[in-house]
Amino acid sequence: MSAISVRDVWQVYDGRVVLERISLEIKSGSFVAIVGPSGCGKTTFLRMLMSEERPSRGTILLDGRPLPDEPTADRGVVFQRYSVLPHLTVLGNIMLPLEFLGSRLLGRLFGAARRDAEAEARAMLAHVGLDGAEHLYPAQLSGGMQQRLALAQALMGKPRVLLLDEPFSALDPGTRAEIHGLTKRLWEETGMTVVMVTHDLSEAFRLGTRIVVFERLEPERGTRITFDIPVEGRKKPQEHRTPREMHIVTQEKSPCDRIAVGRRPSAWSAATTTPISTPAKAAAGRP
Amino acid sequence: MLGKHRPLPRCVPSWPNRSGERGTLMLTRKEFLQVGAALGATLAAPAVVRAQARKRFSLAWTVYVGWMPWPWAAEHGIVRKWASKYGIEIAVTEVNDYSTSINQYTAGGFDALTITNMDTLAVPAVGGVDSTSIITGDYSNGNDAVILKDKTDFAAIKGQRVNLVQYSVSQYLLDRALQMHNMTERDVNIVNTSDADMAAAWLTPAVTAVVTWNPIVQQILRNPNAHEVFTSAQIPGEILDLCIVNTKTLNQHPEFGKALVGAWYETLAIMLSPGPTGAAARTEMAKLSGTDLAGFDDQLKTTRLYPNPAEAAAFTASPKLRQTMEYVRQFLFTHGLMGQGAPSPDVVGIEYPDGAVQGDRKNIKFRFTDRFMRMAADRTI
Amino acid sequence: MRVINRHPGRQARQILTALPFLAAVIAYFTASAIRLAANPEDRLLPSLGQMAAAVRRMAFSQDIASGQYLLLSDTAMSLQRLLLGLAIAVGISFAVGIAVGMVPYLRRTFVAFIAAFSMVPPLAVLPILFIAVGIGETAKVTLIVIGTAPFMIRDLIMRVEELPRPQLIKVQTLGATSWQIALRVVVPQMLPRLIDALRLSLGPAWLYLISAEAIAAESGLGYRIFLVRRYFAMDVILPYVAWITLLAFLFDALLRVFQRRAFPWFALEYMR
Repeated sequence: MSAISVRDVWQVYDGRVVLERISLEIKSGSFVAIVGPSGCGKTTFLRMLMSEERPSRGTILLDGRPLPDEPTADRGVVFQRYSVLPHLTVLGNIMLPLEFLGSRLLGRLFGAARRDAEAEARAMLAHVGLDGAEHLYPAQLSGGMQQRLALAQALMGKPRVLLLDEPFSALDPGTRAEIHGLTKRLWEETGMTVVMVTHDLSEAFRLGTRIVVFERLEPERGTRITFDIPVEGRKKPQEHRTPREMHIVTQEKSPCDRIAVGRRPSAWSAATTTPISTPAKAAAGRP
Repeated sequence: MLGKHRPLPRCVPSWPNRSGERGTLMLTRKEFLQVGAALGATLAAPAVVRAQARKRFSLAWTVYVGWMPWPWAAEHGIVRKWASKYGIEIAVTEVNDYSTSINQYTAGGFDALTITNMDTLAVPAVGGVDSTSIITGDYSNGNDAVILKDKTDFAAIKGQRVNLVQYSVSQYLLDRALQMHNMTERDVNIVNTSDADMAAAWLTPAVTAVVTWNPIVQQILRNPNAHEVFTSAQIPGEILDLCIVNTKTLNQHPEFGKALVGAWYETLAIMLSPGPTGAAARTEMAKLSGTDLAGFDDQLKTTRLYPNPAEAAAFTASPKLRQTMEYVRQFLFTHGLMGQGAPSPDVVGIEYPDGAVQGDRKNIKFRFTDRFMRMAADRTI
Repeated sequence: MRVINRHPGRQARQILTALPFLAAVIAYFTASAIRLAANPEDRLLPSLGQMAAAVRRMAFSQDIASGQYLLLSDTAMSLQRLLLGLAIAVGISFAVGIAVGMVPYLRRTFVAFIAAFSMVPPLAVLPILFIAVGIGETAKVTLIVIGTAPFMIRDLIMRVEELPRPQLIKVQTLGATSWQIALRVVVPQMLPRLIDALRLSLGPAWLYLISAEAIAAESGLGYRIFLVRRYFAMDVILPYVAWITLLAFLFDALLRVFQRRAFPWFALEYMR
């Protein structure tokens, strides 16, 4: 069964057809890059996948079941901007999904639960190359670090599918290259299904296992899928694993990040292999 | 005029002399001064001339039964008639707020004002503006009242919170009432309340005693729980409604005073005449003050007007007025309203028609005159 | 060089800022001197000496009747009413503003009504207010609340609507319920904006306080001003007005500092 099944989806605004006859079967674990000229409707499509909008016609299924009417935790998302919360520190941002899950009434964890969540969060921070920045606010981070944070935060929610809306367009080429590396590694480690919208073709080829091209062929008609290109030789993960079941390995930090943090460097250069096998209480009850 | 002078520093251009290179339009120092003096004189002259031939004067009034004759007289050309008789113009202006009218008069914005005797002493007189009362229009004969809720005896006011406009004639009335019942202000708690909101305040349960004036008194008495326990009828002749004029202006232009007094008594005669003309006049005055003929006539019942100028003049010259002003000055002095640091109520002098003075003879700022009223009585106005 | 590109130097900057104040002070004292020369008892523009004497009387000597230092007791009464009124207004505005801003059903129901309510001039409905709550302390505090809360509510509603949509989508994808979003996302971000709205409301709040005290009171800064206004005592009124201005300025500064200390991230956002 495909992870995502899009069947004959149309999107019409005020009589104007934006998308027409979009049909797509996305296999679990694949990395689909959606490319196309600006304004052609790629983001509209992504919005439908995250339930921000509803298609005028057609159906979308997630794991065989119809898509929920509102955004839910099974579909994580990273936007180009405003993906993280400005009033929380980096650590606070990463802990947030655990707190949402673990504390229905107050949205906050205390005591032992909090300590566990913090440990998990720190591990994730280290994994994406943000340790040392725990107590900074997003506004104090560089663009690249903000997007790392956004990715980490999305992954903490353990989504089934990860939706990326032009997440790296605002970054400079150097930072972009690093974050491509990070993204690819995270995808390989978790085996998630990823759908990424981008207008950068080289990025699509670098990361994706499949490129889907959206194009508006005639001005009065809607956008359609014109090309659907599988990318050869991309290593696919063997099984779907959650980040918590991974071994955390060191990664090298880029000099850029070091300068951007501007604080005393933590023990980031030591190579550690720390299995984190204790699931936090928050994991209980999570499908 | 200049005499010897130090040579000017080199940075300042020196005056050219007649045969200077800069041309013949430049003036010598002497010529410059001559031209300057001539110019100054030309500019100042109209001001001097204007002061002596001043023709425009202003009177301010506020809505109150005793002062309604003024707008009626202005609308019916009576003011214009009397003003033209003396070759002047008089502007009759309504001011919405009584306090503001007094302040504007004191600041020099008006030449004449409708005002009570107490407020004349407290504001313009103490404020250094010498004023003369030319008309004693009426006294409050029940227009000001103390009203209690669910009680009919004045003594019941003891220990109560009393809502009134602090430092106004209402407080004076209360003080005199307390005096006459062997009580003092210490036996009550005064809460300053604006007259505009007095009627609404009465409807709240916390308000049980008010002192105010008409037409608010009438309004409040319409409530069945309201009882009048003391009125100005019990202190007749003490709360006076006057027409005052800036003394300096009056001395320079007595015709202004004559025009005002002439217009006043003519209007009063019409207004109080028994026939339909009188009723028509009073109906108009009622409308101008926001009520109807019945309501206005009701208010007139508690206002002792002096339509007869001879009576008014006699009252003004009587010792009763002196006694009243003595009460008033003591009231103002004990409440600190005769100016800060005033050692006694004598700081301001009050002059009477016979020349007698209460207070500092060297600082007379409030004068009662019966001159114009007597002229009106003798028909020589 | 274009006038828009000319910048004053360091010294000039301070002089320029002080200039209008100096000009106003000089104009005042010149006019005052002229009037006092003509009439030494004049009350319209009191001299520095007269105002100093008034200040000494009101602030530094005990009132004969009540034994209190009038300026201090007036200030205490007024501040009590002001702070209570503002506290209630802030509480109501925060709760209502966030609820209405977040929940579409509530928004549809209440936005038009709140807008209309905010247009009603509170001073005009004062008689109704008196009948409802009397003319005591409650009425004054209520007037301040009615005068300031609608603006703060509307402001907060707009700020909630301004939160970036991606942010709200993101937290929903992290599993948050509406309540959790309110508690962890909206409320913390609205607190510094609430302080902004409060700072803007300080001026009107003082206005309503003084108007309320003018109507029925026994003490307070507004009470004193309206009381002595009858007697044209500008030598008391002007120092009182200056004092109120100073207090308002202090509150504004305190709020600004508090906002910066308590919400360091807020300033960062806008610096970017």
